[in-house]
Amino acid sequence: MQLLKNSNIYACLAASALLTLPAQAQEDALNLESAPVTAAESPSNTKWSIEGAVANASQRYTTDSIDSSRVSLDVLYSGRIGTGLRAVLSNRLDVIRATGTEADTQRNSLREAYLSWQPGGGDTVIDLGRINQRNGPGYGYNPTDFFRDGSLRVITSADPFALRQNRMGSVMLRAQQLWNGGSLSVAYSPKLADKPSTETWDLDLGSTNNRDRAVITLGTQFSQSINSQVLLYQESGLKPTLGVNMTALLSDAAVAHLEWTTGSEPALVTRVFGGTPSEVTRNRFVGGVTYTTLGKTSFTLEYQYNGFALDSAGRGALGTAQQLGYLRESLRLQELAPRQAYLLYVTQKGLWLKDLDLTGYVRFNGDDDSRLTWLELRHHWRNFDLTLQLQHNTGSAGSEFGILPDRRVVQALGTYYF
Amino acid sequence: MKPLKSFLFFPLCLVFGLGQAIAAPSASEILAASDAIRNPGQPFSMTVTLTEFQAGKQIDTSTLTSYSRTQQQGGQFSSLIRFVLPTRDAGKLMLKNGNDMWFYDPTNKASVRLSPQQRLLGQASNGDVATVNLARDYKPTLAGEEEVQDGERRIRKAYKLALTAVSPDVTYATIDLWVDAENNRPIKGRFYAESSRLLKTVYYRKYQPQLGVDRPTESVIIDGLNPQSVTLMRFTDYAARNIPDTWMQRDFLPRFQPD
Repeated sequence: MQLLKNSNIYACLAASALLTLPAQAQEDALNLESAPVTAAESPSNTKWSIEGAVANASQRYTTDSIDSSRVSLDVLYSGRIGTGLRAVLSNRLDVIRATGTEADTQRNSLREAYLSWQPGGGDTVIDLGRINQRNGPGYGYNPTDFFRDGSLRVITSADPFALRQNRMGSVMLRAQQLWNGGSLSVAYSPKLADKPSTETWDLDLGSTNNRDRAVITLGTQFSQSINSQVLLYQESGLKPTLGVNMTALLSDAAVAHLEWTTGSEPALVTRVFGGTPSEVTRNRFVGGVTYTTLGKTSFTLEYQYNGFALDSAGRGALGTAQQLGYLRESLRLQELAPRQAYLLYVTQKGLWLKDLDLTGYVRFNGDDDSRLTWLELRHHWRNFDLTLQLQHNTGSAGSEFGILPDRRVVQALGTYYF
Repeated sequence: MKPLKSFLFFPLCLVFGLGQAIAAPSASEILAASDAIRNPGQPFSMTVTLTEFQAGKQIDTSTLTSYSRTQQQGGQFSSLIRFVLPTRDAGKLMLKNGNDMWFYDPTNKASVRLSPQQRLLGQASNGDVATVNLARDYKPTLAGEEEVQDGERRIRKAYKLALTAVSPDVTYATIDLWVDAENNRPIKGRFYAESSRLLKTVYYRKYQPQLGVDRPTESVIIDGLNPQSVTLMRFTDYAARNIPDTWMQRDFLPRFQPD
C-alpha cells in the first residue's frame, strides 16, 4: 500500500514536471543572448569551394573494381562593376585520376562569364556572355531546359541537382523585361564552333554553341498558387518547338510541377549515331508532386516521357556496345534514354543529427524495369561538408541499368567552402 | 428629484461610455497598431542574425539580409531573403510572396518552388513570425486583458488577441498574441498549426528606435514541439530603400543584384 502511495506521488511529480518543463524552458530561453553582430558579416561577392573525392566502382563485366580520386576547385563571383552593371563569373576545375589510366584527366569548365546591364529601375535587363539559362521545375528531366545538351564536361555525380550545378552555359545575348507578376525574355545563342573539345582549358564552345539557337520565354504568375512559363524555341534547320512548364501549390504541403514540349526533330537514336536526319514530331513530358511532412521529409514522385527515345524493342535491337553508346550519348545530351521513366526523390533534413541530411532517389526505367538507386548522407559543419554517396545499378542483362559497366559505386567527398 | 437624477445619469453614462470606448480600442485597431510597430510602413531592408540554441547551448549562427515590402496589388506582405553566412549558403535566395515561395541557388540557377510546410523546415521561416503582416491575413478577437511577462522579464499589462486565419493560404492557422496595453508593442505570440499543435512561441524584445519608431530588435523563438530548441533573431541595419513590386517573383531571382 505504501508502495502504491509512493508510486502515485512519483506519478504526480512526473506529471507536474512535464507541465512545468515548457515554462522553465521559456524562462531559460529568455536568458539567452544572440551571437555578436560583426562587421565581417557583410555579403561577399566571391564564393570558393574545394572538394576532394575518392570512389570505388565494382564492375559488371570484370572482377576488378575501379578506384578513382578527384579534386575540384570551384569559384562563383557576382558583383557590381558600375551603375546598373554587374559581372558574373563561375568556373570549375576538375582533376580526376582512375586506375588503369596513365594520366590525370583535367577539365576546366567556364560555366558562366557575362555582363548584365539593368538600366533605370532594373525592370529591363540585358545580358551578354556565357550564360547558364536554365528552365523547368522537373527534378530528373527537364524538357523545357533547351540549352541542356552538351553542357557537362565532367560528370562527377549521379545526383541530378549536382549535374545542374556543374554545367556550362551557352554564349548568348539575352534581354528580359519584368513586370508585376510576369516577364518576357528573348535569348539568341549563335554558332561559334563545330565540335566539342577535350582540351583542359578550352572554352568548349563546340559543346554549347555548335548551332544557332533562340528562345522566347513568357513567364506568368496566374495566382498565388499557379506559375507558368511558355517557351518558343528554334534552332537552325528545325521547326520551332513549343514548351510549357508549370508549378501549382496543391495544399499546405504539396507542390505539383509539369513540363511539356512538342516539336519536330530527328529521333534520339539518329542524333546519337547519325544517319539520314528525318524529322519526327513527338512530345516530351514530365509531371510530378512533392509532398513534405512535418517530420522534415520531402517525397517527390515524377513521371518522365521522351517521345524521341527508343522504346524497349528498339533498344533491344542494338548490340551491347551500341546500347552503351546510346546511353552514354543520351547522358551527354541530358536526354531521357528510355521512352518513359519514374523517379522517386526523397530528402530528409536532420536525420538523427541536426546537420545530417539524407538524400536519395530511385529511377525506374518504365520500359525494362531496371533501376538506379542513389543515396547520399551529408553532414554539414560551418564551412565543411562530409559526404558519403552510394549508387547501385540493377536490372536484367541488356536493360538500361543492367547493362552499365558500373554495378555499385561508393564515393566519399569532403568539401570546404571559403 | 427624479428629473435631476436622469439629468445627471445620462451625461455620466455618456462620459464613462466614451471613456470606455477610448480606453478599449477594437481588436483590429490593436492588431494594426502592433503590426505597424514590427513593420515599417515603407519598403525596407535589414540584417538578420540567427543564433540557434539546443538545451541552452549555442549550436549554430547564420546571417541573412531581408528585403520586404507590402505589394501594391492586394496588400500582400512579401519578402526576399538573401543568405549571407555561412559561406556554403552565401548568395542563395528565398522568396515569399504570400504562398508563392521559391528557393534559388545561384550556383545551379535552379528555382525550386516550396510549399509552406517545406519552407517551415528552414530558418528563413522564422522571419515570418517577426515581419509578417497579421492584420491582413487574420481576424482578431479580444480574448481579454492579462498581466504577462515580457521578453525582458517585466510584468506588462497586455491585451490578449486571438487571431484566426481568414484565408487558408497562411502558415499558421491560429495565433495568440499579447500586445502591450500601454503602447501596442507586441510582447509575445503563440503560433499554432491547423491541427492546434503549437509550432512556435515568440517573444519580441529589445525595443530600439528604428526608422522613426521603437521596434523590437530581437525575437526569441521557442520551438513548440521541442522547447529546448530556441532561435534568437537579431534585427540590425534597418534601412528604407526602393524595392519594386517586380522583385517579388520567380523570374527576378536570377537578376537580383545585392548592394
